[in-house]
Amino acid sequence: MTTLSHAPASSRPIPNPKKSLITKLNMGTGIVVGVIFCWGTYFAMKAGRDMTDSHNVNKVLLMSMFAWSIGFLIGIGAFIGPFRWLIGKDLTDEEQLYLAVDGQGWKRYFKYCTDHKVVGIQYLVGVMALLGVGGTMAMMIRTNLATPGSHFVTPVVYNSLVGLHGITMIVAMIIVATGPFGNYIMPIMIGAADMAFPRLNALSWWVLFTAVPVLCSAWFLGGIPTGWTAYAPLSDQAGPGMNAFVATIIIFAVSTAVAGMNITTTVVAMRAKGMKWNRVPIFVIGATISVALAIPAFPTFMVAMIQTGLDRTIATGFYDANVGGSGWLYANLFWIMGHPEVYVILIPGVAALMEIAPVFVRKPLFSYNAAIAGFAGIAGLSVLVWAHHMYMAGWMPSLNGPFMVTTEFISVPTGLLFLVLIGTLWRGRPWMKLPMLCVYAFIWNFLIGGITGIYLSDVPADNYLHGSMYVTAHFHYTLMGAALTGAIGGLAYWFPKMTGRMLNERGGYISFWFIQIGFNVLFLGMFIVGAEGQPRRVADYAHLYSHANLISTMGAYSVGIGMIILLWAIVHSWRSGKIAPMNPWGAKTLEWTVPYPVPLVNFDQPPVVTSDPYGYGRSAK
Amino acid sequence: MAHDTEFHVHHDSPEAIGRRERLGVRLLIVADGAFLFGMIFSYFYLRNLNVNGGWLPKGVHSFSTASGWVAALGLIVAALAHRLGEYNKAARNLTAIVVLVALLIGGFYQWHQMAHMPFIAHDDAGRPFYNGAYASNWVLVAGANMFHYIVGAFVALGLLLRGYRVKLDPTLEEWRQRTAGSWFTWIAISGIVCALATSFK
Amino acid sequence: MADHESELLAPTPGARVSTFLKRKDVSQTLLLWVFFTAVFVVLGLWAYPKWMPVVLSKQMQANEDIMIWFTVISAPIAGVVLSIAAKSFLNMHRGDTPPEDGVAIRTNGPVVIVWTATSVLFCIVAIVWGLVALNTESIAAATDAPKSLIVDVTGSQWVWSFYYPQQNIHTHTLNLPVNQPVTFNVMSADVNHSFWPVQLGVKIDANRLVTTVAHADPTATGPLDVKCAELCGLYHAYMETSGAVESPTDFNNWVSSIQATGGVQQ
Repeated sequence: MTTLSHAPASSRPIPNPKKSLITKLNMGTGIVVGVIFCWGTYFAMKAGRDMTDSHNVNKVLLMSMFAWSIGFLIGIGAFIGPFRWLIGKDLTDEEQLYLAVDGQGWKRYFKYCTDHKVVGIQYLVGVMALLGVGGTMAMMIRTNLATPGSHFVTPVVYNSLVGLHGITMIVAMIIVATGPFGNYIMPIMIGAADMAFPRLNALSWWVLFTAVPVLCSAWFLGGIPTGWTAYAPLSDQAGPGMNAFVATIIIFAVSTAVAGMNITTTVVAMRAKGMKWNRVPIFVIGATISVALAIPAFPTFMVAMIQTGLDRTIATGFYDANVGGSGWLYANLFWIMGHPEVYVILIPGVAALMEIAPVFVRKPLFSYNAAIAGFAGIAGLSVLVWAHHMYMAGWMPSLNGPFMVTTEFISVPTGLLFLVLIGTLWRGRPWMKLPMLCVYAFIWNFLIGGITGIYLSDVPADNYLHGSMYVTAHFHYTLMGAALTGAIGGLAYWFPKMTGRMLNERGGYISFWFIQIGFNVLFLGMFIVGAEGQPRRVADYAHLYSHANLISTMGAYSVGIGMIILLWAIVHSWRSGKIAPMNPWGAKTLEWTVPYPVPLVNFDQPPVVTSDPYGYGRSAK
Repeated sequence: MAHDTEFHVHHDSPEAIGRRERLGVRLLIVADGAFLFGMIFSYFYLRNLNVNGGWLPKGVHSFSTASGWVAALGLIVAALAHRLGEYNKAARNLTAIVVLVALLIGGFYQWHQMAHMPFIAHDDAGRPFYNGAYASNWVLVAGANMFHYIVGAFVALGLLLRGYRVKLDPTLEEWRQRTAGSWFTWIAISGIVCALATSFK
Repeated sequence: MADHESELLAPTPGARVSTFLKRKDVSQTLLLWVFFTAVFVVLGLWAYPKWMPVVLSKQMQANEDIMIWFTVISAPIAGVVLSIAAKSFLNMHRGDTPPEDGVAIRTNGPVVIVWTATSVLFCIVAIVWGLVALNTESIAAATDAPKSLIVDVTGSQWVWSFYYPQQNIHTHTLNLPVNQPVTFNVMSADVNHSFWPVQLGVKIDANRLVTTVAHADPTATGPLDVKCAELCGLYHAYMETSGAVESPTDFNNWVSSIQATGGVQQ
């Protein structure tokens, strides 16, 4: 909307629109109002209702969760902007500056802050917290599976662990690259002063934030028995914890739509002068395609969750075969979102590594057009393949053939992504820093994830593999081995710009090898038990599978140790790491032309772009 | 514009901001369109599947097919009135009121329909449930219409009130009329699609 | 890079290729390619037969063939990716300053085209293979239907139960005669389950109030594990039973023994 001119922060007074309500509000007031709304709704709705009826319980709980979210947003001041628009008294310049929390120090991280750099850091910390929670649950799952017999937790806890690990990680992975880097780095990369809609940027983060306590409440409401896919009719039958899942997804879908629309608009409308589409850094292209794909994908999940919610609260019958419903409806809606969603996760991670590779190999990105064709091809095909998750559902066996064809064809644009990376590496002399190591780890992991995907998409092989641990191993290779590795690479690469300090190298290397070796051991074991016939999401298994499961658990612990070391390295470097120069990697994208701390409007003078950022290398004569 | 001398605020051109806002709203319309797709998919999927004859069980009442069109009427009138005001600035004060009133009346009618649904049955314990997949889908579609009425009324009220403010940038406000036009047109289309779908019982 | 220049200066495409192949980095990459390809071929040929359970049906054989041969076919492509990555990895530069710039190769049309064509070809092979297997399977299911043994399978939280309508017996283990096609009519009493007789290599979801159908051709005798492959609540992990593919005589004895106890397995 409005961009704010730049003068050194220290020389400017803190804006102080005295009479404005916005100066009084922060995360604390948000929590207070949210909690009041939540409990108020809870007690008001509970009064006079027969709480032995599960539908009434679900009604009360779901409404209390939404009331928390709305109350929090009111309390933090999210609706001040829309309200002022409504009555025609738009926010003044001074108020806008206050909202961008110019010069307010650490407090800005706890306010409804419209500065994209603050939102980026909020996302980064939020993602790390979510990964930490999800990772802890993964360790508990693997501990339970270390030996047959389910000695560590009971089946009900185990099922909840599986489901909540899944959904926590999916949420974390959807935002892992586009959240921190998409918000902090990307606007600078394209030479913009801020995002297109700064207030909506803050909204997308704080809406997401309200989903976290809701998701956590699932634990105190008895957990969820359904896994992250929340298949009906199991979800209709599930206890009160399921409401937390439903509310989380609906809230998260709102956040995703707002964030996706904001990022897409920023890239389309706010690129620097001279930055034609063929000069846009590949990370920006990838992140934009990813969020643009999320815009149409997530609402179908929202429909599915609203239907689940309606079934559970007012006794509709979308998924109840007794009154004309069908679980297949849920599966279709879920996977119409679900398959694009895995590419929403994957593409930004790959794109970050494509941004990294040319810098460290000191060569141009090989075939920029092939990279774009790869991303676009994947995004385009991804909406046509959803039913490959339902080959064995029996919903329409005659469509298995067509869906197999579309699914296999995804290997062609995926192959282009490999071509771009190995083409960039070809004849190169890579500078082996942590971001570059992540490129290699990605190639190995994604190759295995990709090839196993080819078996899984073949209907006859899926006959055997569907629902087995083999599938679990496959998608962890793509989502964790590829996308998370890409995000870690991105963090190591952009850490100096986001924190002003270099990431501790030794800590980074040690964690890298713990994570990558542990990861491959972990999921190699899982491929073996999957091929041997162990179903996924089981709390217990036959003795036949015990060796490979134990190996998997060892690998998991190695990943866990690696992640702790990485966390230590991040925290330590953020507090007291080596001060980073402006452009430590010698890269040519715009974010490296601004100092740290990045000024409020990013650039003194709006930059003018005259070439793409990959002009490395001697001419080949 | 209130300019405080201490704070130097650089504004992008109203043209640029207006275009940006319209793109943003259109992207949100894409998301809402995907939501509509999900609902329509559900409707026809369950209708064609008709699990054990449970789409519209015998003896269950349903709405007349006309009721969906009546519920969409407010959205359609609002969209048309807004279009009129967009091209005829002189009439805008009047059309803005028409838009708002159409949305409020339409919204009230939609709410009234939902409050008097004929197809709720009771199980042995006397607890209500929606008898048949048609009933389930109908309530979702009606809820989506209701959501459009509410958001539409908010936008309409804003435009009406802002019409009386002289301090606002006229170029930007003109863009906002167009942006709101995209939204009103979309909710009318959505209402028509829903009415069309529910015509197939 | 003198060798590179001479390659570009070579007069004909043939001469260019031969100079290209003589380059040291190229020959090293080729060597790595042979190594990685071999690793993947061996992995496919050795690992899957070792890991996957005993083959008791035509369907299981088809599954295993796909696992093995897709690995073998994809080995050369995986080899290209890994050999180039490994070669550049071995050529790494360490230290705190960036290395000098490499060669500015922006793109290479023929390489992009050949790569894309290869992946399309590979993709088509996978699709055709899959469609043929799928088609063979559905033809077999259709032609075998009249002579099939029928088993009605019901999944309920958290047990499998079977009803053999032709024999009129209710059982909780799944015994089948060898060399006779079998059709499973699968249904659920509550939430979704997935019926998975592991060694038969078929799988189909069990839905409430809807029947789904799976078909298998047992070809060898041996013990059978039946599992649930769709998360179905608390005791999903324990929703399993056993059974066997056995000789027709054994099967008939088994049926008679159950009929003797009133048609319900004890």
